[in-house]
Amino acid sequence: EMVNEKDDSQRKKKESIVDLSKFLDKKVRVKFQGGREATGVLKGYDQLLNLVLDGAVEHLRDAEDPTIIGDETRNLGLIVARGTAITVVAPSDGMEQIPNPFQNAEE
Amino acid sequence: MASTSVNASTLLPLELVDKCIGSRIWVIMKNDKEIVGTLSGFDDYVNMVLEDVVEFENTPDGKKVTKLDTILLNGNHITMLVPGGEGPEV
Repeated sequence: EMVNEKDDSQRKKKESIVDLSKFLDKKVRVKFQGGREATGVLKGYDQLLNLVLDGAVEHLRDAEDPTIIGDETRNLGLIVARGTAITVVAPSDGMEQIPNPFQNAEE
Repeated sequence: MASTSVNASTLLPLELVDKCIGSRIWVIMKNDKEIVGTLSGFDDYVNMVLEDVVEFENTPDGKKVTKLDTILLNGNHITMLVPGGEGPEV
């Protein structure tokens, strides 16, 4: 059985664990290392998770506190997002910002 | 190579970058730095060779730092690439 496990891990290691085809031509929200966030329509991708986003918009952070994503945005157009920097890819209507739920617990 | 394949009908990201060779490209880094230059080429790691480069630092708001000639941009901290982009508004 142990030999089979090893064969399986070698056979399957090139498969991707995510399938981005379901997001094609859909609006997605992408988060990056370093805190940047962008949304755009997914037009293409590769095995390394590089993405092509059309009509991309970057959501700018608060000047005072860079951990806050404010309402300000800037239009970027057709972009390539580097897979090496991506932390999250989610459907654009799948998330909403809520007030900090932990803030009252401290008091 | 992989069982989960990408259809030829989707646009490959690195192909889009390749099409941009010879044109201006706007590179956004993980930090508050952005670079605009003419793309001479890039490698598998998306390290890039750029010419006629302008570097922008976003936060201190002294935005422009102009460089010229040719630079090798280390691809480690690249977040986004905008083909044909002019860079952030001045």
